[in-house]
Order: sequence, then C-alpha cells, then structure tokens
Amino acid sequence: MSNADAIKKFVIDEFLPDVAPEDLAVEYDLLADGVIDSLGLLKLIAWVEDHFALSVHDTDLDPNNFRSVQAIDEFIDAARSQVAGS
Amino acid sequence: MSTFRQRFLDQVSRRPGAPALVWHGEVTTYGDLYELADKARTRLEWSNLQPGDPIGLLVKKSPQAVALVLGALLSGRRFLLPSPALANSALTSLFAQASCQAVFAPEGEPEFTPDPSIAPEPVEASDLDDVRFMLTTSGSTGLPKIVPLPQRGIDRFVEWAGAEFDIRPGRTVLNYAPLNFDLCLLDVWTTLAHGGQVVLVDPDYAANGRHLLDALVRHEVNVIQAVPMFFGLLLDVVQPAVDRLEHVDRVMFTGDAIPDRTLAELPKLFPNAALHNIYGCTETNDSFVHHLGSGDTAATPPVSIGSPLPGVHSLVMTAEGAVLEGPGTGELYVSTPFQAAGYLDRARHTDKFVPHPTGADERPWFRSGDLVRRAEDGRVFLIGRSDFQVKVRGVAINTAEVEHVLLEHPAVLEAAVVAVPDPIAGRRLVSAVHRADGSKLNSLVLRQHCARRLPQAAIPSTMHIVDTPLPKTPTGKVDRNAFGSKGRTP
Repeated sequence: MSNADAIKKFVIDEFLPDVAPEDLAVEYDLLADGVIDSLGLLKLIAWVEDHFALSVHDTDLDPNNFRSVQAIDEFIDAARSQVAGS
Repeated sequence: MSTFRQRFLDQVSRRPGAPALVWHGEVTTYGDLYELADKARTRLEWSNLQPGDPIGLLVKKSPQAVALVLGALLSGRRFLLPSPALANSALTSLFAQASCQAVFAPEGEPEFTPDPSIAPEPVEASDLDDVRFMLTTSGSTGLPKIVPLPQRGIDRFVEWAGAEFDIRPGRTVLNYAPLNFDLCLLDVWTTLAHGGQVVLVDPDYAANGRHLLDALVRHEVNVIQAVPMFFGLLLDVVQPAVDRLEHVDRVMFTGDAIPDRTLAELPKLFPNAALHNIYGCTETNDSFVHHLGSGDTAATPPVSIGSPLPGVHSLVMTAEGAVLEGPGTGELYVSTPFQAAGYLDRARHTDKFVPHPTGADERPWFRSGDLVRRAEDGRVFLIGRSDFQVKVRGVAINTAEVEHVLLEHPAVLEAAVVAVPDPIAGRRLVSAVHRADGSKLNSLVLRQHCARRLPQAAIPSTMHIVDTPLPKTPTGKVDRNAFGSKGRTP
C-alpha cells in the first residue's frame, strides 16, 4: 500500500466511515468543512508519527501540512528526506 | 360571552340528531353524546367526592372518553387530563400533585392503580379559581408540568377559533392529536361548542397514512389541524398528480416547523384550502397565526408565524436582555387572553411566567423559550427553541438552524442535530439524517453542502446517515434524545 493509500484508509476509517475510498479525492480539503477538526488533527498527527515513525515538531504543526491526503503524503516525504539527509 | 357548557348544551337541544363524533366510521349524534356525558356526570357525582375535589381522567381517545371529559365539564369539576402513555409512576405523581381525589377511566375500561412506591409530594398550588381543564406540558425530560387553564380563557379561545376557522353546523373537523393535547381545544372542544362534526383519528392508527387519507375522503373533512408529520404521512401515500382533497378548505399546521418539501405539496393536495401556520403552546394556547392563503403562491418558504391573535401581546428579548425594536433575533415573550396564570406547582413558574422584562406594563407574560427572527417588514420567523442555542468551541450555534440547512439538501428527508458533551471539546454536534431511497448521499457530500451554508463550528462533527426514518416522540417530533446519546461513530 502506498503512503497515500494508507493515509486515505486512516482518514476514512477514522473520520468518514460511510465514504468509499474512490469518493475521497487526494486533494480534498479535509479541514475546510470539518472532516478533521482540531481534535481530529491531533489524532491524525499522532497516527502519522506512529505509523511512519516520525516525530512531528511543533514547527511542523501548520494545519496546511494536513489539509488533504496529498498534503499529508508530501509532508511525510519531506520529513523523511530531512531525516535521511541529517 | 357564552361558556363552553352553554354552547354545547345549546347544540344538543337545537340539533340533537346532528352528528357530533365519528369514530371508526360510526357516528355519535349530539343527542347520544349528551346522554353518554350525562351518564358520566352522574357517575362522577355518585363517587363520594367533596364539592370542588379535583379528579383525574385517564382516557384514550374514544366517544366514551370525550363523554367522560364532557361529564366532568357538565358537573363543573376540575380535572387533570394527562397522557395515558405516561409511565404509571409519573401518572401517580401527577395525580397526587394535582390533589386528585379519584381517577376515572371511561366506563368498562380498566381503572387506574397508583404506583404504591411513589410518595405523594404536595405542591404549593397556584390560584385555581375558574379552572376546569388541567393539561400537562409535553416536556421530553423529567415529570411534565401541570398547566391549569382558566375556563374563561378557554371560552374566549372557543369563540375566536370558531369564527376564525368557520367551524359550525354542517362542517367536519379532523381531530388528529391525542385527547390530552392542547390542540384538542380547537379541533374537539371548539367544534363541539359550535355544532360541527369531529372525525376522531384513533391514536393507534395515527402513523398509518392510508388510514388518514381514508378518513379525510370518506368523511369529507373540511378543516384539518395537525402537526407537520401528519401531512408528511399523508403525502407518502397519495398520488401527487391524481389525489385532490377538494372538500378541505382549511389546513392548519402547528407544533413544529413545516419542512419546505411538505409545504410545497400542500396546495396540490388541497387545491381549495387556505393554509394557516399556527403558533402556540400549552401554557398560553395559540398566540400567533399566519395566513398563507391558497394555491401555489401560498407555499413559498420560509413560513413566518404571522401576527399575534386579537388580544395577544408579544415582544422579542435579545440575548443581551433588551427588548428588540425593529429587525433582529431573540426569545419570544407572549401574553394571551387564553393563558394559564401559572403552573400548578408555583415552584416551577420561575423564569417562565414573568412580569414584563423591563416593567413596561402590568400584564402577565410567558417566556416561550422559542428563538425568533423578526424581519425588516415585521414578520416573525421561528428559528427553534432557545434551548437549542449551544456554544461549540466558543461559537453560538442554534442546532435547529443546522437541521434546517441539512434539510435543504435534496436527498435529505429528515434531519436532527444535537449537541453532546465532549470530554475534550466541551460540546460537539452530532447529526442524524434519513436519506432518500436510492440516494448515494454520504457524509462527505453533506459536509460540503453544510460548509457552503454554515460557519465551520456549526458543521456537525459526526454525521449518521441512515436509510430508515428517524425515531419519533409520541407527538411526532424527531426524538433527538434517542440518538444524541450514541456518541461518536468509530
């Protein structure tokens, strides 16, 4: 499963149990209409840290990093390359 | 002004052979009804009661039940008329609070047995001078409140309603509500005072649209007063292009906001009817009426509650505690010629039966608990219960408004929204939606719909979407308590 698929699966399981994966576009804005609220965001970040073995720093807590499946995917890629490069 | 009793006896002596009640197709004439009522009166008077002792009446709807209430009215006795659907313990408490010395059921029906584990808690009673009917509120939580209605207020209401809705000999009125409801003051008691015929809907069949349609057609009903659910049930079974109920000329809906899609169908089903939106509550009886007129132009939402009835005063209090002048939003206060002086239990008046909030007059006022919006042109619109005003993440939200937005989605048949306590967020909104058959509606689509119309904090955190009707209270309103407790879906 690609990262994007795993992220989508988590978002659907956790926040959109009645939605089929093909109905959730990767660029869909999850924050704008409250699919993920501020508490959901904390849950999502905890899952990202756990699942991808990353630690999300306070400076990375910009909601825009978690706005869509695609944004989360890109954030994880960027965070990993940083880890690899340091 | 004539009293209810005089008016009814007048109908009996002038037109004893005229039909008074229809029950499962069987007619009871005014003469027959008087005989039944007189028997009931005799039974009450032989029951070893002191003059002035109040009694309890535990009645389901039937001609015998109507006769028993009439018997109590004829003997001039005060009576409590609670919902027979209440738990035995609640009934025991209510009868005790009202100091009922005996409880009567219609002849031949099982007698009431009090719950022995309930200790009577006497209350400090309000002034009960001139009171006959004691009804109860339909509050969803706790013991209902007892509302003693002065007979003079009822007589004034009967006079107004008879003239307003053209209720007279030769006219047929549908009674949908259970007999303990305040709505019966219009469709049963006003009709019997003015010589019309009441078609009683058996509460056991009240959710059966076919049965309702059959009653309207068979008995050529002219006047209908019912909660919006009634019209929804009817529209589910009629063939929109074919069925026309042409003999109906008055349609009154009350008790809840009517869904736009229900309203839109009414002029087709009732092509000759004037539509009326009635606003009222048990404590004050009706206080506002909006005449929508007839035909397709009548069914343009949103429906206002119209203007105060003759003799009714109203004001709107803003959240800041000022009397609203001009347009704006606030809680509706009313003062009506029909209203109760207070609850039976004086301790429960607080914050409901109040003086004028700024002391501008000496009238007794009632806080409706309803949130209204007054438009530029002075029309008043019901938004919802002011109890539905909640704060979610610091934002004031009216859950009734959120429901209204959900209902605007074409695939949504019913919607309910509640605020539930959340250990972290304080409160969050949970919604339940009944979607149309075959619709592919999902929470993502519904969220986008809401996001275009509501502030973000007002978009429900949890959206249950189901293919079955939402649970209802006995009065046909969506039972918000039934799903609010379920909490977050996984």
